[in-house]
Amino acid sequence: MNDKEEMLKLIDELKKDLSSKNKEIVGYLEKIEALEQEIMKLQKLMPVEPSKIKVIKEKPEDVFDLDGASAIIIKDLVKQFDDITAVNGINLEIKKGELFGLLGPNGAGKTTTINMLVGLLNPTEGTAVVGGYDIKRELSKIKEMIGVCPQEASVYKFLKGRENVELFGNLFEMDKNLLKERADKFFEASGLKEASNRKAKGYSGGMIRQLNLIIALINDPKIVFLDEPTVGMDPRARRKTWNFIGDLKQEDKTIILTTHYIEEAEALCDRVGIIDYGELIALGTPKELMKKHDATNLEEVFMKITGRRIMEGV
Amino acid sequence: MIQRVLALVKMELLKLIREPANLFMNLLFPAVLTLVFGLAFGALGGGDGSLFDMMAPGLFAYACIFIIMTVSMSFTDDRENGLLKRINVTPTTSTQFIGSHIITNMLIAIIQLTIVFLLSLLMGYRPNVDVFGVIMAFIFMLFLSLCSVGLGLITATIAKSAGAASGLSFIFILPQMFFGTFIILPEGIRIISAFLPSYYVTDAITVIFGGGSPFAVGILIQLGIIALMGLVIVILGIFLFRKYGKV
Repeated sequence: MNDKEEMLKLIDELKKDLSSKNKEIVGYLEKIEALEQEIMKLQKLMPVEPSKIKVIKEKPEDVFDLDGASAIIIKDLVKQFDDITAVNGINLEIKKGELFGLLGPNGAGKTTTINMLVGLLNPTEGTAVVGGYDIKRELSKIKEMIGVCPQEASVYKFLKGRENVELFGNLFEMDKNLLKERADKFFEASGLKEASNRKAKGYSGGMIRQLNLIIALINDPKIVFLDEPTVGMDPRARRKTWNFIGDLKQEDKTIILTTHYIEEAEALCDRVGIIDYGELIALGTPKELMKKHDATNLEEVFMKITGRRIMEGV
Repeated sequence: MIQRVLALVKMELLKLIREPANLFMNLLFPAVLTLVFGLAFGALGGGDGSLFDMMAPGLFAYACIFIIMTVSMSFTDDRENGLLKRINVTPTTSTQFIGSHIITNMLIAIIQLTIVFLLSLLMGYRPNVDVFGVIMAFIFMLFLSLCSVGLGLITATIAKSAGAASGLSFIFILPQMFFGTFIILPEGIRIISAFLPSYYVTDAITVIFGGGSPFAVGILIQLGIIALMGLVIVILGIFLFRKYGKV
């Protein structure tokens, strides 16, 4: 064998070797690409670190500047449960007659905020004024002017619908005739008139939630807290409840609505505060927020700020 | 304030009538117990009735002891269903709320005593008592019901659910049943009775229904002890439930 033949043989071997290495490299590249796609998918699912979220806070010095137009003023409100900070320094002002929506995923701190405003929880730090009264010192005055529709459908199942409403009306020491008049009006408007003389035990989930809402409104409260009032309702009942809540605005009531339903907030609220990880991360009318974040709906607004969907929870 | 308390009392009484478990524990159980003991040991059952005569005052207390279970179940049930929170956001104070429970259970105690007393008479029990004695017996039962409400609140503080409350309530029910009513205890463990409200009620009613004066010093001292026990237990119950009851 001469030198030329030897050289050609060597080149062939090198070519084969290179080809196999190339295949190996291509394999690695494909694996890297697949891994990168997987990482991207996981990143979308991962919550954004709270520290990376731009927190919007109204200026604390503006808060408590009472001009008589505010129904609720919240200042530096904090609630800590052991190591968990459920509400982290919220500052907010809600005007009289406003339908204000607290929007955020499950576990964001909406209910904890409401519970502090209605006296079910003591704030760890900060305070709030509801209807002109301090939540730390004048709770009994606050309780006389508010109506609360809790997230859980809290009714006495062994009582009839009307008996439930009358019980809570009496707890507000309402006049008997006025109580009957308002109960009749609400049962009529909610479509529960016929069922009102039946025990709540036999009500459907939607009917129980309607009754829950009527109880919250029976005392003609100036400020109404509605905590996820349409959870578990079918679309028809939800629409009906939206109309019902919309009608309340005509009565010049201040309504604070917590929800994680985007369409609910968009359809009903004058202004929306978006809460995430216990902090107020956005505040404005739905239109303002969508314009500011170049979004077509509030879900997109939330996604652009946090990188997550509202329904994903915290 | 009266409107609130009356509304809550009405609601609790409707719960008694409409919830089968409550109706059984509060009214049917004492009635059945009296009939069973009456037939087994009373004159109607063929015996001389002396054993039933001894048991009857303890049966009055028996009925009232079970208020512990119904109160604890009622509070835990209301807590689980968010009703305590809901009442807490109305102007109703905790004093008015607990007060309504105390009034309701005192009314139930009166009904229980009436049922057990009438059925005992039917079973051949013949107490030697005048109207003042009967009134004093009712007063003792009212204070025992106060103790039971307090112990029910303590049970509701510990229990996480109504089911757990029904089981845990026996911590307070059983000692009172076995060491504080008609069961004769050996000398060595009789000291336990001194700490049980049902002992003072059974003992006083036994003396009063046996012909003793309802205003005797011994009876009045026992009334003082049970009244003090009732107040202390109910205040402790309210304190514990408010602090640890997770309303």
